[in-house]
Amino acid sequence: MKIKVSYTTEKQTDAAVSALKSDFSGMETKAVLFFASSAFPPDELASAMEKAFPGVSVFGCTTAGEICSGFMSENSIVAMAMTGGIIEDLRVEVLEDVKGNAKGALNKAIDAFHAHFKIPLSEMDFNKYVGLILIDGLSGTEEILMDAVGNVTNINIIGGSAGDDLKFAKTFVFAHGKAYSNAAILALVKAAGPFSILKTQSFRILDKTLVATKVNEKYREVIEFNGKSAVEAYAEAVGVPAEKASDAFMRYPIGLVIDGDPYVRSPQRIEGNSIVFYCNILEGMELSLLESTDIVADTQKAVADMKNGMGSVSGIINFHCILRTLELKSKNQVGPYAAIFKDIPTVGFSTYGEELFGHINQTSTMLLFA
Amino acid sequence: MAGKIKKMLDTIIASKSGGNPTLAAATTTKLILKGLNPNKFTGQSDDDPAVVDKVRNIAAEMGIKL
Repeated sequence: MKIKVSYTTEKQTDAAVSALKSDFSGMETKAVLFFASSAFPPDELASAMEKAFPGVSVFGCTTAGEICSGFMSENSIVAMAMTGGIIEDLRVEVLEDVKGNAKGALNKAIDAFHAHFKIPLSEMDFNKYVGLILIDGLSGTEEILMDAVGNVTNINIIGGSAGDDLKFAKTFVFAHGKAYSNAAILALVKAAGPFSILKTQSFRILDKTLVATKVNEKYREVIEFNGKSAVEAYAEAVGVPAEKASDAFMRYPIGLVIDGDPYVRSPQRIEGNSIVFYCNILEGMELSLLESTDIVADTQKAVADMKNGMGSVSGIINFHCILRTLELKSKNQVGPYAAIFKDIPTVGFSTYGEELFGHINQTSTMLLFA
Repeated sequence: MAGKIKKMLDTIIASKSGGNPTLAAATTTKLILKGLNPNKFTGQSDDDPAVVDKVRNIAAEMGIKL
């Protein structure tokens, strides 16, 4: 067995970790990736997970809901154990103080990867190596980290922003037996076999363009679209009165469309006449209004297409936007969505943002191992 | 003068991808996310000094000599 997934709804940390350990016993595990509800005391959980799997690379983060093969849950821990059949080699680095010095932290990690793999990141083959990134979901550093790491390597870096069950108070990433806030985990994997990356979102691209003509990049705030107040221009594009604009946010986000593929930017809230987004929009960016479609049908097709292309899929790591989870809940589609993964060992979590090339919203980014 | 930006962006994509179409698409995506859409520049685009500087800085961060 190359991959096994497990989950636990035990409330006490020790009992929860014991349950996972028991499920993975007998495996020649190289790495354990886990996603945990913020209900668990972070330091206790990080330490217990490390002790439970000696000699294994153990890393993960807190969530806004967990995903495992065939179901979605809350207040639980989900975990994936990966053997040498999946991972030939792995190095996990913690990037600390990302709010103060993201690039410095990243450079230290890059040096560590170079020393470990004996090859610089810039020369790694994107068909053999892949990076997993987990970022403090309240740090606001996703863009800078993804931009900087994308500059120095051609390998895909995929991941998600840690959550805290919608409390928006504090999120944690875990590695080396410790819980970190204001930090990110970057795990570099030399895969033992083929893998693929999937980015899927469920939106139709509408024929309405919004050009960000005035922004406050630091706060992910758009002050003006098309030379008008952001709220007025957005409401006009959607076709609703300005005072109803926020009601349309979930169904009508906007996207930077690249080769017909939207990189979604989700509006978060209105501040005065500005709109604050869940990720950055740069001044001058031309964006299209999007309209939501069927998450279940679209994901089912995307996963099936990928499965057909790969021949077989032995495991999936799913970074799934919390806004998608909320939409699935509102439409009573959680069960059908989770069922897409019932026959594939899958772990994932509801994120505060997804990472692939950059920071995106209302998307699922997935790593699929053959 | 015109066309410098397009040429610089094309050089970045060619250099970063080594001619691999998957990597060329990925590099183009990264550039667009940085606010520089190579498809919006042509051989006739003005050599806006601010944009030229931005492209030069990106190339430097990518370790590419222009």
